[in-house]
Amino acid sequence: MDNKLTPARRKQVIRDNVAGWLFTLPSTLVLFVFTFLPAFIVVGLSLFDTNLVGQSIFVGPGNFRQMLTSGDFWGSVLRTLYFTVGSVPIAVAVSLLIAVLLNAKVRGRTFWRMGFFIPYITPLVATSIIWLYIFNPDYGMLNATLRFVGLPVSRWLTDTASAMPAMILYSTWHDIGFAVIIFMAALSKVPTELLEAAQIDGASGWRTFWHVTWPMISPSTYFVVIIYTISAFKMFTQVAVLTQGGPVDSTTTTGYYLYQQAFGQMHFGYASAVSIGLFAIIFLLTMLQRKVTGRKVFYG
Amino acid sequence: MTTMRQSIFWNRVTRVLLYLAIAGLFILVVFPFYWMIVTSLQPQDAVFNVPPQFWPRHATFQNYIDAWNSAPWLRYFGNTLFVAVAATLISLVTSSLAAFAFACIDFRGKEVLFNLVLSVMMIPAATTLIPNFLIIRTLGWYDKFYALIIPFAASVFGIFLLRQYFMSMPKELWEAAQIDGASRLRYFRSIALPLAKPAIVTIAINSFLGSWTSFLWPTVMTQSQNKQLIEVALNAFLGEKGQQWSQLAAASVFTTIPIVILFFFVQRQFIEGIGGGGIKG
Repeated sequence: MDNKLTPARRKQVIRDNVAGWLFTLPSTLVLFVFTFLPAFIVVGLSLFDTNLVGQSIFVGPGNFRQMLTSGDFWGSVLRTLYFTVGSVPIAVAVSLLIAVLLNAKVRGRTFWRMGFFIPYITPLVATSIIWLYIFNPDYGMLNATLRFVGLPVSRWLTDTASAMPAMILYSTWHDIGFAVIIFMAALSKVPTELLEAAQIDGASGWRTFWHVTWPMISPSTYFVVIIYTISAFKMFTQVAVLTQGGPVDSTTTTGYYLYQQAFGQMHFGYASAVSIGLFAIIFLLTMLQRKVTGRKVFYG
Repeated sequence: MTTMRQSIFWNRVTRVLLYLAIAGLFILVVFPFYWMIVTSLQPQDAVFNVPPQFWPRHATFQNYIDAWNSAPWLRYFGNTLFVAVAATLISLVTSSLAAFAFACIDFRGKEVLFNLVLSVMMIPAATTLIPNFLIIRTLGWYDKFYALIIPFAASVFGIFLLRQYFMSMPKELWEAAQIDGASRLRYFRSIALPLAKPAIVTIAINSFLGSWTSFLWPTVMTQSQNKQLIEVALNAFLGEKGQQWSQLAAASVFTTIPIVILFFFVQRQFIEGIGGGGIKG
């Protein structure tokens, strides 16, 4: 088919092909070696009992059977769901509240916005350290404040019942800025004519919000819910710094369980199976959320 | 008249309540940073006071000196800066080249390759950690800086963003450049790249922040003390210092400050990058 091309044109086509492949090679090589290839290797590893150093034993689906019957695995999934159900609605509600307040033509918006955003860019380890001190049941700031206003105090990170709520509190504080920015961007795109029309029709501010603003920003809400749920399943750093999964596994989420099994216990085959389980859960959740929220989402 | 006066009155009340609500939430969110700084200035015995002191009565910089002298922080800063800058620069080069090819060059298999690159985003990093540990060891990169740089030398986000920039450039620009005798690489360097500057800044900030705050990856891929990155070192420092909160707070402050300073310079760009990208979801 190249017969019709002039020699100059053919030269150009060859050049284009060479340039195209050369320019994309560095990126695709890195992505191939460190993302594609691992996705296949992890499936292979999950079929073996291996510590990566000594000998490996082929166990077939044994690791998956072990995972699906393991109380520790399902416990970690339940705790991750606990964390998600506890943190995502709060994050959505509070960040939306902040975004709505900042959207009301306030002065110094850039300044306020920066304050709400800054925890999100600060490292998890450094901020976990100060929260560790704030959460201290004996001399921490949180209990001192609760005592001051006459509310009951808690053992926070040192008690199996309150460790997860404390983890939720810290993580919500750290991550909320991202959702604030998303919601501020979404709110600024709601057409003012719509809001004015609702007001002229005599709708109260509350009704206008639920019947106009909320449906208009639903794609962003959906986006925030998905991103925060997925990041809950990957959560690792704050668990490692604040509790190391304790007390008595009460904060061992699936992301941390995976790390413990691999790099603590050296059960790399089993941990690979858990990796795949984690992938499956994230995938399912994304599909489920799409189905549940799909009908109510307004794509404007 | 009265109703109008009343409505002005209620408007004012609403404004005051609005600012009070914002300020209240703001104080709650910013307080831990205030507390980090106050704690870092307290003498060690004062951190156990009940109730805590809101303002350090005997402020001292000694904690900073003690914390700084207890670990080779300069080395950790150097490592982190080196890794972050290297990963950022390399990923900028690789993603802008790839994005340019995907946007402006016709080559065989382009669509397939681009879809493959995009599909990488479906694979979460948590799933690939273990096989990557194996790959890094097989390559002989365990406990080497390569392990912290090369895997981050490509960015799907970067390719995607820059491709959109390059695609939105008018075709006449490239045609005019060809008439002037410019080669493809020259057009890329002197015309396309400068026009994509906002995207490049966004990608650079993301990549730099990613390296600076990374924790799990360097924990798994390195071992020796002289290869440590700053956050891993800070966690080790926590293990070592236990409840010496004033020194821990001081170390938290000086390891976080570079990030905060960087953020002040680029905050508009960074925040707009998120706001713009997010609403597409």
